Formats: sequence, structure tokens, C-alpha cells
Amino acid sequence: MGARGLNLSIPAGVSVGLLGRNGAGKSTLLRLIGGMDTPDRGEIVRASRVSWPIGLAGGFQGSMTGRQNVKFVARIHGANDEIEEIIAAVESFADIGRAFDEPIKTYSSGMRSRLAFGLSLAFDFDVYLSDEATAVGDRHFKQKASEAFKARIGRASLIMVSHGEGVLREFCQAGILLDRGRAFWFDEIEAAIEAYHSAGDGYAPPRPAAPRNLEEAKRALAEANARFDAAREALDAAGDSAAETAAIPEETLRWRLDDARERVHEARRQVQQFTARKGRKGGPRGQERPTANNTSPDKTSAKAKRS
Amino acid sequence: MADSMLPIAGARSRGAWRVARSVWFAMFMREAISRTMADRMGWFWMIFEPLAIIGVMVSIRGLFMSGSEISGADHVPWMIVGLMGFGLFRENMMRALGAIDANKGLFAYRQVKPVDTVLVRCFLEGMLKSFLFLMFMLIGDLLQFELMPDHPLGVLLDWLSLWALGWGAGLTVSVLGDLVPEFGRVVRILNLPLLLLSGVILPVMYMPYPYRDYLLWNPLVHGLESMRVAFFPGYHTLNDIDMTYLWFWALSLLALGLLLHIRFAARLKAH
Repeated sequence: MGARGLNLSIPAGVSVGLLGRNGAGKSTLLRLIGGMDTPDRGEIVRASRVSWPIGLAGGFQGSMTGRQNVKFVARIHGANDEIEEIIAAVESFADIGRAFDEPIKTYSSGMRSRLAFGLSLAFDFDVYLSDEATAVGDRHFKQKASEAFKARIGRASLIMVSHGEGVLREFCQAGILLDRGRAFWFDEIEAAIEAYHSAGDGYAPPRPAAPRNLEEAKRALAEANARFDAAREALDAAGDSAAETAAIPEETLRWRLDDARERVHEARRQVQQFTARKGRKGGPRGQERPTANNTSPDKTSAKAKRS
Repeated sequence: MADSMLPIAGARSRGAWRVARSVWFAMFMREAISRTMADRMGWFWMIFEPLAIIGVMVSIRGLFMSGSEISGADHVPWMIVGLMGFGLFRENMMRALGAIDANKGLFAYRQVKPVDTVLVRCFLEGMLKSFLFLMFMLIGDLLQFELMPDHPLGVLLDWLSLWALGWGAGLTVSVLGDLVPEFGRVVRILNLPLLLLSGVILPVMYMPYPYRDYLLWNPLVHGLESMRVAFFPGYHTLNDIDMTYLWFWALSLLALGLLLHIRFAARLKAH
């Protein structure tokens, strides 16, 4: 609840990332925009249709089936004739098979988040809200969700809270920095990220660059690894000497570590891509490489053919 | 896969009244399903539980008070009417007490307000109880228990009054019980004394004269006795039974409950 006396308007059609330290009020601001919380003073005016936080898995009743829950949310949002369409859309997107007709309390957290994501995307909102804390799921499904969302850009925009700078860069054009109870608007998300870091300690992460060949990808991976190690060391050091090094708060270091980890994954993926490409030219070696992990055998083979 | 996901216009801009109506409808369907279907024996217990309570009460009375007659009414129908009327009030109040807590997850959808959960529960509870009462009347009549009301319209009005009283109590209690958990506990404890002091089991006419005035402070006594007067043609009761008094309580509680819901809406949603 750090923010006080904010006065800002977010233009329509622009995707915005909310940045700030832990406790700066990012999530609270998002909840206020979404209408889940009410401000102590002042008001929130929504000029367009705003979603609940995407992928929110808490809004389900455990004793009822997925279908019944979807029906409930559709009814709340005033769907009468479209209700069957919405159910069909969510069912096909969530792709959880027969579990759709079983009580939610039997679901795994992955299944829950699939259903929650499908549900958010079945409605035609102008603005979608996304809070990182509520977004879970395996990598494969995250990819699917982000593709589904990208297909909607142009008609809808996004207001998101995320600690992953890569995600913010990918989805947002503009940024809002919450710092010491005030909000700053940036037309460019990149500028917002830089301002966020300089508000902290002047640390600036490198801008990501797409490698063109295997060597470059490998070099990027090595760099990312080094960066990751450095970030971990910094975090460990901060943990050891708790109060003395208050210059950089521990959570900032933790996000930095997360960000570095994300980049290592990205770099590793790119190296794999290049190796696979090379391997296919040489022979059937690329087939041995394990592809996506948790998919069924027939899907895996379909994937291998396509790539 | 992503392309097959056509967004569907569901969330067009709507007026406040339309939003409230669709929330009520959605909540009603949800509550109705979870009340009747979620439990395997849901339907059975809904009918059997009041039957069992009536059976126990009637046999207790038969054991301890055989011979003491109620003027103008058979004691089984007399007790059924009392228990049903009291049950209507009590269930409305007690179901409302847990309504907000049970639906916390739903406040993520900003359309759903804490007051909606209480209103819908009370409505559903009243509908179920009315259905049950009608069924008892029919079955009782077939078994020749004389369970057909003498003045159906009068019974209906009294029934609705008791419902309104329960609704008001539910609205008030739901807020207070959520803000102060101990309050809910106290309300639960007060259930039994309230049953004894409402003339459900012991006829108010048996009360010693000096205590009758105190008994008449309880609005439930007015509702239940008035309903029995409308039910049984020759039934006699206290002279001071007054439905205006009950409605004074009902409207006050409704107003208080709604006020509390407006005042504490944010607090009720929050935790």
C-alpha cells in the first residue's frame, strides 16, 4: 500500500508494464484498476471493458466442475446465448480432456491455470490485467497462452506486473514506474526499465540481441551463465551480511537473478535451435535430441516433423 | 490452436442493474446446484432432516406433556407450522452467516459484491423452505393431518414476513459475523434459547402471566402465533400479537444490514 495521492490516466490501446520495488504498490494498483480493491480515497474510472487478472485460479469453487465454473463466470459477465460458445472455447483451449467435467478440487495446479487462462481469453475485453504472481503453468502452456494473447493485440491491450524484464519488453510499449509513493509515466518500456534501475542503483542489464549463428549463440550463453553466477553470488553475499549492505535491497537482487536465469534459458534454447538445425543438415541426429518434455508421444513426433 | 480461439463478445458495457441481475442469476444457479447436487444425498437430507426434527419434537411432547392440549389445534400440525416458520427464519440467518466467507474467491470478479452472496443465499433458502412447506402440507393432508391452512392468504403473508425478518437478520449478521468472528459464535449459541423463547415447542399460552410481556419482545413470537391463527380455525393465542411489530424489526434489520454492507463493502471483500 505504498502509493498515495496518485493521479494518472492510462490511454486506451497501449500495453503498459508496471514497475517498482516489492511493496511499492504494483499489485495493489493492478487490483484497484481491476476493481477488486477499493481505494481509501478517490476513485477509479474505467472507460473500457477491463478483465480480472489473467490466469487467476482463485476464483473457482472446488466442489464444482470446470464446466460449471466456466458457466458461472460467463453468466456473471452477461453471456446468455453465447454461453455454449464460451464453454466450447475454454474447453478446447484448456485442453484438459475429461477433467473438464470433474470437480476443480481434483485438478492439479497446472490444470487449474490452464482453465483459468482459457477462461480469461474467452472474453473480449479491451484491457487485460496480468499479475505475475497469479500466472503459473509449464513452459509449453505459457507459450500457448502468450501466442493466444499476441493474436489479440491490436484489439486489446495489457496492463501487467512482472519482474521479468524480458516479458515486459515482449508485451508492453509503455511503462509506469512506482517509486516512493509516486508514479512516473514512460512512453517507452525500455526507458521505464532503465529508470527503474537508476532509481535503485544504476545497474543496467544488457539489451537482448538475437544471435545469428551457433558461435554467437554459444557466446551469448556463456555470457548469460557468467551473469547468472555473478547475480547469485551477489544475492548470497547480501544474504550473509544481511543489514550491512542495504544499498541494494535483497529482493532486487533476487529479481535480477530470476532475470539472469530467464536469459540463460533463452540463450540455451537458441543454442539448441542452432545445433538442431546443424544436426538435421548432417544426418538424423537432431531426432535424438529430447523435444518438449511432457507432451504425449504422437504430439512429440508431430512437433519434430514441423521443426 | 491459438487461431481457433475466437474471442466472444461477452463483456459488453452494461448498466448496473443488468450486471446485478446477471450476477444474481449466476450465483443462484451456482448455489442451487451446490446445495442440491454437490452432496450425493443432498435432496434426501433436505426433506428428511426437518421431518426427523418434527418427529423427535412430537415424540418428546407426547412423552412429557400428554394430555395438555392446545386449544383449537392438533399438536402435530401445530408444531409443524411452528418449526417450519422458525426454520425459515433461522436458516436464512445461519446460511447468511457463512455466505461471505464461502464466496471469498469470487470477489476477484469485481461484479460480485459481498451483499450479492447473502441476498442470493437468503432467496434460495426461502424458496427451498417454501417448497418444503408446501410439500408437507400436501402430504400431511393426504395423511389426514389437517395440514391445510384455514386462511391461505394470511399464512402466505405471515410466511413472507418471517422470511423478511430472516433476510434482515441474515444481512446484518453476515457483516458483523465476518468482521467479528466471535459474533457468529454467539449467534450460533443463541439459536437454542431462541427456539425455546419463540413458542415453537411450548405454547406461549402456557407461560405464566407476568412473563408474557417479555416474551412479546421477541418478534418471532408474533410471526409464528399469527401464522398459527391463520392456519387453524379455532386457535387462540395472546391478544397482543401484532404483525406491525414484526415488520418494525424486519425493516429495521434490513435497513441496518444493507447499511452495514455498504459501509464495510471493502473490508468484507479484502481478507
